[in-house]
Amino acid sequence: MSKGTSGLSKSQAQAESPVKQILNFLSSMQLGLILLLLLAITSVFATLRDNEAAITTIYRSWWFIGMMAFTALNLLLCTARRIGPMSRLALHPQRVVSSDAIGKMSVKRALKMNSEDIALDAARSAFHATGLTVTEEDGAEGRVVFAQRGKFGYFGSLITHISLLLILLGAMYGSLTGFEDRNGGIVGDHIDVEKGELHIDILDVRMEQEEDPTIRPRVFTEMIVKKDGREIAHGTVSINQPLRFAGNTIYHMTFRYVSDVRVKNLTTGEEEMVQLLDVDQLQLDADGTTVHIMQFFPNFSMHADGMPYSKNYKPERPVLAGILVEGGRAVRNVFLQLDTPVVIETANGEMELELTTFQNAAVFSITRNMGRPILVVGAVLLILGLYLSFFLFPRRFWAVYDKKIATLLIGGRSYRNRLGLEQDMERIESEISSREGE
Amino acid sequence: MPGYIQVSASGLFWENTLFNVAVAAYILAMLSYLVHLFGKKEFGPFASFVLRLAFLLHTAFIITRTINVERVPFVGHFEFGNLFIWATVLVYIWTEWRLKDKYYAVGAFLTPLAVLYIGYLTVVPKIFTSVTISRLHSPLPPVLQSNWLKLHVSASVFGYAGFTLAFAAAVMWLLKVKMGERSSLARALPQTKVLEEYMYRASAFGFLFQSIMIISGAIWADTSWGRYWGWDPKEMWSLITWFVFAVYLHARFTRGWTGRRTVTLVMVGWVAMVFTWIGVAWLLTGIHSFG
Repeated sequence: MSKGTSGLSKSQAQAESPVKQILNFLSSMQLGLILLLLLAITSVFATLRDNEAAITTIYRSWWFIGMMAFTALNLLLCTARRIGPMSRLALHPQRVVSSDAIGKMSVKRALKMNSEDIALDAARSAFHATGLTVTEEDGAEGRVVFAQRGKFGYFGSLITHISLLLILLGAMYGSLTGFEDRNGGIVGDHIDVEKGELHIDILDVRMEQEEDPTIRPRVFTEMIVKKDGREIAHGTVSINQPLRFAGNTIYHMTFRYVSDVRVKNLTTGEEEMVQLLDVDQLQLDADGTTVHIMQFFPNFSMHADGMPYSKNYKPERPVLAGILVEGGRAVRNVFLQLDTPVVIETANGEMELELTTFQNAAVFSITRNMGRPILVVGAVLLILGLYLSFFLFPRRFWAVYDKKIATLLIGGRSYRNRLGLEQDMERIESEISSREGE
Repeated sequence: MPGYIQVSASGLFWENTLFNVAVAAYILAMLSYLVHLFGKKEFGPFASFVLRLAFLLHTAFIITRTINVERVPFVGHFEFGNLFIWATVLVYIWTEWRLKDKYYAVGAFLTPLAVLYIGYLTVVPKIFTSVTISRLHSPLPPVLQSNWLKLHVSASVFGYAGFTLAFAAAVMWLLKVKMGERSSLARALPQTKVLEEYMYRASAFGFLFQSIMIISGAIWADTSWGRYWGWDPKEMWSLITWFVFAVYLHARFTRGWTGRRTVTLVMVGWVAMVFTWIGVAWLLTGIHSFG
């Protein structure tokens, strides 16, 4: 963000065209600071609300996106305005200055010395000893020794601004060209992802217990991804280990238990196999006798108050728990243990339910984000820009000999580190003094 | 206990002992720095020595904890808090060692903050039963088994450390200006321009690491959850802290802002940082429930 019009006189500002004034305002640092503070304050209020509500009503509202767009515009214009002057400042420094100019510098020294040659030689050596790059040129008042260090630090804020623009651009491009979908399945399932025109074949879903079985285990899903009938990716997806291909990514989100339940009508002898997930409902007759599936417990147990729980994720005592509902009223709990039939009276006669087996289903998030490379470049540049901005401070020194008063004049300028400049000047001064003493 | 790592009695003994001794040494360092501040100048080097000793003890505690939990101790309020305090002290010791003028008075404001943070981890849960800070040794859940955790948390603790040091300098600046040069306490504090430089450098340091923390978190979130940004309260408060310090740093080096306005911004930034760490955990809900 660059300086605004505040440095201009009223008459100068009036002389500028309205378009220029608008551009000045849009690229001004004042606007940038106000927008940053507004974004911060709005975000504070947004976090006090329910997160889902905040996303819908604030973060994705036209005015919040508008504020971000204005911030991006401010950054863009400010960056565009600064590229030229900053490059000139960094790459084409003013190497020759007058003794008057040194006198106006914020950090300066005047050292009495009798000989011009000795004085400038001492300055040159002191500059070298301070780690500065030294050059020498002739000016109107004689020779000028110029020294500098950390010139790339001038580009710090510019690179930071560009990086933020890239991050915003990457996020925008990613959301405009990409998609996000959720899906999942068990071994042998074939999933169509319409948004990406992808087809996923699940080859294997494998659960690996952690050393401590109370920790949620890892689930590995081997899959083949096809597009237009042609295989485009093959790999295994698990937590922190997505499958990436051609700008698309498949992430493991969570896993579920799928229970295979045999339902047999003991009166008619008819039977069928059903696959049930948590919160599914199994209707047993036309009168509304239903089993509402509550949860699958891999290692079933019960608290003293009768509340069921799973001791851990080891499948040592698998139980599918549900509630029997008759005529809209919960009648009793139903616990289906492995290979242990449970009989329920219904209007169709006695129904026998039996948990025969269970397996894991993996749930994925499938996304396409073509902006990812831009975001990565932006992130790297942001760190580089901040490092250059704050840890590589550019400093410049000039030394001229004023013959009239037989004095070596040294002046220094820095970009945002006055104290560091003062410390360098002290070192230069002490180097010159020590040379004089030799 | 199910769900937790079985730690040997000797491992537990050393962990608890080193923590308690380190806390005692931090308190002693704080008192020594305060004595230095209130006139006994000779206590400065002693305070500095005690603080370095406390830091070494704290390092030994963190190593012991690492052995006991069989992983890097980066998870949960207790482990994160300890790392954060450790990083804060490390950054301060480093600045004290690097600077020609030692400015021990800064230690008199920095060490009370470290002790305050320790108080939050140890005393507050005993007073407020709703604040539960577990010291139990829990294994790492799969979602956190990632190298990104190490970068994300390391950057976070150093970011917070920088902001804490900046806040200490801001408090000193305010005191010095409020009390005026007639006060002996104000005279014991560094010059305002030195404090402003301290504030600026520490904020810049914190800002760089806060940026690395946000970026590494976003990349990790993309790998783990399938999106860079989820508008989660913890993410948002990290961003709010970043915004506030971005405004301060911009105002400082582009507009040349100094004095009360910048001190206020640094203080607001520190409050936002503390809220990100503590407030979000207890007052708001989100996906960063692991710490």
